[in-house]
Amino acid sequence: MRSELATNSVAAGSTAGNSAARARKRRFKGSSVAVFAFLCMCAAFVAIPLYVVIVTSFKPIEEITLGHIFALPVSWTITPWFKAWNTMCTGLSCDGIKSGFLTSIEILLPSLVLSIALSSVTGYALALWNVRWAGTFLFVLFICAFVPFQIIMIPLILVIANLGLFGTVWGIAIVHAILTMPLLTLIFRNFYKDIPRELINAAIMDSGGFWLIFRKIILPMSANIMVVVLILMITTVWNDYLVGLTFGGISAQPMTVILANAVVTSRGEVIHNVNMAAAIITAIPPLVVYFALGRFFVQGITAGAIKG
Amino acid sequence: MPRVVFENITKRYGTLKVLANLNLTVEDGAFLVLLGPSGCGKTTLLNLLAGLIETTDGRILIGDRDVTDLDPRDRGLAMVFQSYALYPTMSAAGNLRFGLAAQKLSHAEIESRVAWAAKLLQIEALLDRKPSQLSGGQRQRVAIGRALVKRSGVLLFDEPLSNLDAKLRTEMRLEIKKLHAELGQTVVYVTHDQVEALTMATQIAVMNGGVIQQFGTPDEIYDEPANLFVARFIGAPAMNVFDATAKSGAGSAATAVLDGIGATVDLSGCRLAAMPPDGARLCIGLRPEHFLTGEPNGAASAAQFDLPIRDCEKTGNDATAYLEAGGQIVAMRIDPARARTLKAGDRLKARFPLDHINVFDAQTGRRL
Amino acid sequence: MAPQLALTPALAITLVGFVWAIGWTIYMSFTRSRRFPDYGIDPAGWLSQYQRLFGDDAWETSLRNLVVLAIGSALAIAFGFILAAMVEREKFGEGTFRTIFLYPLAVSLIVTGLVWRWMFNPSLGIEAFLHQLGWTSARFNWLATPETAMYGIILASIWHGLGFYMALMLAGLKSINTEIWSAARIDGVGIWRLYTGVIIPMMKFTFLTCAILLSLGVVKAYDIVVAMTNGGPGTSTWTPAYFAINAYSTRSNIGFASAAAVIMLLITLAIFLPLVLITAWQNRRREAAGT
Repeated sequence: MRSELATNSVAAGSTAGNSAARARKRRFKGSSVAVFAFLCMCAAFVAIPLYVVIVTSFKPIEEITLGHIFALPVSWTITPWFKAWNTMCTGLSCDGIKSGFLTSIEILLPSLVLSIALSSVTGYALALWNVRWAGTFLFVLFICAFVPFQIIMIPLILVIANLGLFGTVWGIAIVHAILTMPLLTLIFRNFYKDIPRELINAAIMDSGGFWLIFRKIILPMSANIMVVVLILMITTVWNDYLVGLTFGGISAQPMTVILANAVVTSRGEVIHNVNMAAAIITAIPPLVVYFALGRFFVQGITAGAIKG
Repeated sequence: MPRVVFENITKRYGTLKVLANLNLTVEDGAFLVLLGPSGCGKTTLLNLLAGLIETTDGRILIGDRDVTDLDPRDRGLAMVFQSYALYPTMSAAGNLRFGLAAQKLSHAEIESRVAWAAKLLQIEALLDRKPSQLSGGQRQRVAIGRALVKRSGVLLFDEPLSNLDAKLRTEMRLEIKKLHAELGQTVVYVTHDQVEALTMATQIAVMNGGVIQQFGTPDEIYDEPANLFVARFIGAPAMNVFDATAKSGAGSAATAVLDGIGATVDLSGCRLAAMPPDGARLCIGLRPEHFLTGEPNGAASAAQFDLPIRDCEKTGNDATAYLEAGGQIVAMRIDPARARTLKAGDRLKARFPLDHINVFDAQTGRRL
Repeated sequence: MAPQLALTPALAITLVGFVWAIGWTIYMSFTRSRRFPDYGIDPAGWLSQYQRLFGDDAWETSLRNLVVLAIGSALAIAFGFILAAMVEREKFGEGTFRTIFLYPLAVSLIVTGLVWRWMFNPSLGIEAFLHQLGWTSARFNWLATPETAMYGIILASIWHGLGFYMALMLAGLKSINTEIWSAARIDGVGIWRLYTGVIIPMMKFTFLTCAILLSLGVVKAYDIVVAMTNGGPGTSTWTPAYFAINAYSTRSNIGFASAAAVIMLLITLAIFLPLVLITAWQNRRREAAGT
């Protein structure tokens, strides 16, 4: 037995059976197992639709009509995927959703650039520079972040149409930038407010101006918040339906619009496996971003929700 | 009031062993302070007693009951936390009542206990306020009240005064000590502040690295530290420790020659368990307050010092001189009036009496 | 000077894209504009669009559906809290569970609606599955009847938003001082009392935030309706947002659509302003108490 040093007390007669008792005592609380089981059930509830979609998209038509929605495909086929991409009928034409995929990308990139550029500079100005009406402006922005789209939809249509941008990807991108500006500005402003005042003052003393400080100091420090905002915006813009529907006209329809047209509003035969494949293709980009950068995503969602 | 026994307690987190085969007995009605620096395991030991964490091995007994496998609520304890842990949405009275409701007491009994605790801690006027409306000291009292209403035999404190300012801390120290004298519960109190330990405890367990370095009364800990760690940890300013070599003289008299300054210390006044052999390496510990700097009065002294002054610190009612001693700084308590006449560079003569000398083995650190 | 200059785009957008736009729409709601804006207001009939609105059965259905959707989706908050409490307690697999519960947020509501529509398919979806299990009298064809169609949308909404509310609740739970949990364990407080008496009251703000966000989301409900039922059967799953869009694009009536939009705005303000006022009042009270 070991003997350690420096205790003056009387040990009350230890027993060798202690270790055995301890091993048995590793309590497996019944309640703990029940909680875990419940969590697993709920996780299954959340995961099953994804499973169903994937599984359906790989089944040939014959298996679909059997109605075994949860069964794995007996004969896996990727024909539905090809059809969804190339030949699916979406309203007026039967070219698949590939054009929608491209359009969505063409909408996404300008939207990202416009909205992030606009909001980051605005947030920076409001956070770190003395502007007298900053407080009021922020309050107004706060309210604007909540107004429903429909209340500004028609005037925006008029403005975009007058700019000749109706039915173009740039028109949609501009609308996205407008709609997301309040929220993103608040997010950037809250982030930049935490930058120590002394840093900015030191830069000013070094004859740094507004734009120089932004380029050389603020932007390099913004990596974290940029990722968060990027993920938030990618999800919002790619998954958007209403703005694309309203401002895309016929020529600039994002993927969600084409998907909805094909599945929801089409008449005639409903081809489920093709529809599901199309749905997955539409859902993949944000999902990939989510699973790859999940941590930042969580930060992004809660940053978008808890402000002020 | 029950006694608390820790029997062969081991606590491991993965491969990290925080406590190993620790044994400790707290007599009934004692006020035990677990004292030590951060990370020494004192809070772990307290949490094990509370039942908030589980032991890897060993038993814990409260009274005659083996509570090792019991939930915190079944152990018959009460605890006061460092940040008070008051339920913020309830009033002070609500906080006091909340824990009692789980004990299934009658409404009348609950109210009478709440009133009793409120009177004892002088918080009657604060009972309807929410914690956010109370000051730090008031919150602390409510937290103590919440623990007292349980009328438990054992009371635990986890560094309760560390969030208070110095003046409040002094007040609360007296309060807690008074409460213990009145109510007589067995108290286990964790702190890193040696002043709290020395003033409040009936027994102190000094801990470091998961091991109890010394267990004894405050006087024992202070006057006869069991090893170098305890010697250096207790006492402010800290004890001066010199490396030295033993020299056996004629008969059984032994002396030690201090490194650096070469002064000889007569060890004949020390009650040593065994005479150190000639040439053995020792550590000699001399407390600052035992140096004599006044006029010699003829009594024999163990050592003489004549050292240059580095600095004098005056704190109004007290003064400490810091002297250069061959690469080491020696602290000595001196009379404040005397301190005013001294300045850096002056030489100060001092003597050390025959008793109050602490001798430690240089290798093991243990007291000889 | 530079900051003010840099703020002009944002200022312009706010003034034009929001302030002017809202004003314009409100103005339009008093006119008889149909396909094109008509800026004349007939003083005798300036509320005519609103009268039409509240005489419209579909609008009444929309408003009712709004309430139903809000109450039903509130289950997502309750379940979100329960899941968050469980995940927080169990610690084991917290990261995995959180990843699983949150992924629906990355899926567009159109895709969400389509997937659930597929699962609600009576002959090929879950109802068929239940029949195959032997439970031949099972009915899971909620989208087919006007009375139950809304419930299908509620279920899909809960599926989509559950993870979000769970994440918010989890953040709220984690902000609670760990010593409170310890104190409750020592006090011997039962789990039920702990959560109802201590934890939930401490999370009042989180719950309020979730309720506000939920309500605002419900007011905007459009995509999910299109994807699942396209408003059907008949008009039984119309929501105010759907109504307004329909009034503009299908009925080509700007004045009518504007009136619907204004009501939507008023509902939003009714949800939103109390929060602002309560927070402001609380802050003032806290300052006065001098904590």
